[in-house]
Amino acid sequence: MSTDGTIHARGIRKSFGHKTVLQNIDLDVASGEVCCIIGPSGSGKSTLLRCINGLETVDLGVLKVNGETFGYQETETAYHALSRKKLAQQRTRVGMVFQQFNLFPNMTAQENVMSGPVLVKGEDKKKAAARADELLASVGLDGHGFKYPAQLSGGQQQRVAIARSLAMDPEIMLFDEPTSALDPEKVGEVLAVMKDLAKKGMTMVVVTHEMGFAREVSDSLLFMDEGYVIERGDAREVLGNPKEARTRAFLEKVL
Amino acid sequence: MVTAISKGSEATMGGIDSALKPRLRLRTPTEYAGWVLSILVGLGILASVLTNPNFKWGIVGKYFFAESILRGLMLTVFLTVASMALGTLLGLALAVMRASHVKPVSIAAGLYLTLFRGTPVLVQLIFWFNISALYPDLRIGIPFTDIGTAVDTNAIMGPITAALVGLTLNQAAYMAEIIRGGFSAVGKGQIEAADSLGMSAGMRMRKVIIPQAMPSIIPATGNQFIGMFKETSLVSVLGVAELLQSAQLIYARTYETIPLLIVASLWYLVMTLLLSYPQSQLEKRYARATSTLPRKAKRVAQPEGAAR
Repeated sequence: MSTDGTIHARGIRKSFGHKTVLQNIDLDVASGEVCCIIGPSGSGKSTLLRCINGLETVDLGVLKVNGETFGYQETETAYHALSRKKLAQQRTRVGMVFQQFNLFPNMTAQENVMSGPVLVKGEDKKKAAARADELLASVGLDGHGFKYPAQLSGGQQQRVAIARSLAMDPEIMLFDEPTSALDPEKVGEVLAVMKDLAKKGMTMVVVTHEMGFAREVSDSLLFMDEGYVIERGDAREVLGNPKEARTRAFLEKVL
Repeated sequence: MVTAISKGSEATMGGIDSALKPRLRLRTPTEYAGWVLSILVGLGILASVLTNPNFKWGIVGKYFFAESILRGLMLTVFLTVASMALGTLLGLALAVMRASHVKPVSIAAGLYLTLFRGTPVLVQLIFWFNISALYPDLRIGIPFTDIGTAVDTNAIMGPITAALVGLTLNQAAYMAEIIRGGFSAVGKGQIEAADSLGMSAGMRMRKVIIPQAMPSIIPATGNQFIGMFKETSLVSVLGVAELLQSAQLIYARTYETIPLLIVASLWYLVMTLLLSYPQSQLEKRYARATSTLPRKAKRVAQPEGAAR
């Protein structure tokens, strides 16, 4: 069976100094699955997501992304950190969408979307430009390619950021609170693009406060607090009928 | 609307419609005193400058376009441009080294900055001029073998070379700090975005960090350029016939010290003023660029697919 588009984590630990932010985390995401992670701020959900893409390193535990040990090479005695080049290769298979969009302000929307294929994969510029236009159209931004990020609204910028990640043809997409920095009226357009992506069978891990999105689109759901996974299961089941008191308390506040 | 309101109002005093009377700024006695005092002091200085025969304005005029002065000016311009260009390149290398994760590389760059920013340029210039006392021969060759050639250091390190080396190495240290400041102004999110796309460190530097650091680096570099123009006067101690030294050579012969120093000063002033206009334009342009549109935004009108 193919392991593309899967995430497999066992006993992940991560500390910043004396503060342990991830405690013994297990996570399994199947190919094409949409997994939402919810929880209060500081619960470690963003850190977990960032580990899957190598923006943070894991201290302990097993982490396999697309079937490969992520960021490290396993030998009999230790995990040896991969060279930047090999890490970059693994990263190109995992797209990341940030809360603050992080578009490159010195490039147009089209250049942003082209940046991965052209600069990293060395693809032909003309082809990449055509592909970028297609991707921009697929996120509802047909004809906006010549604009700079500063000329776009937050919702539009985030959709460009999604297109930029998709341009690398990743098997997995990670979303770190993609709608938290948006005006309320712009949230819908970004969620629509994400729903569309989920329908197309993309493996997605989404850190979010949008419970409606989690209920509607997500297959599985994790509730995290203080570095622990408190509760997990079918998204509708956990949201509709939480078993843990802490989950209930959290959901009462946000719903 | 306005006329309707003013017609209805009964508060018309002194013949002029109240709604149309100009609003005057508050003028304090301090302001008037400031005007009077400044004008008096200014007139006093002007009278003194014009009437004191020791200024010898005729001689200033005579030497202002003298060939040796203009030659000196050219050399000053050359030293400024050359040491700024080389210093900026070296400064960029130092800034990249300083930001390196490899400790010894970062520490080496840090030591360089401390050394060159912690000692006076004048001392550094004299030091480079006398470097042959430390290394009489410069050897180029393969280490631990006899292959290679030796050159007399004095033959290479003439006054102009020493001036160029001294100014460049010193400028590099200051430019490194400016460029490093520009790097740190680029948000962490930008670096993470570049990383998540799998960019190499060099690619990230060239395509993401440097273009975004430019708006804060360029105006500061312009300032350094103007500063460097004046700083070149220091190399006169090495006997390099730049602007100041050219003036000194003349007054050593004619004893017209003050008029020739005025000639040199006027040229420094003219050049500084000429440079400060593009500098202020640069500052305006980049101050705007950071907050709203990037500087290439004019290209927006181009059709799609025109991206580089």
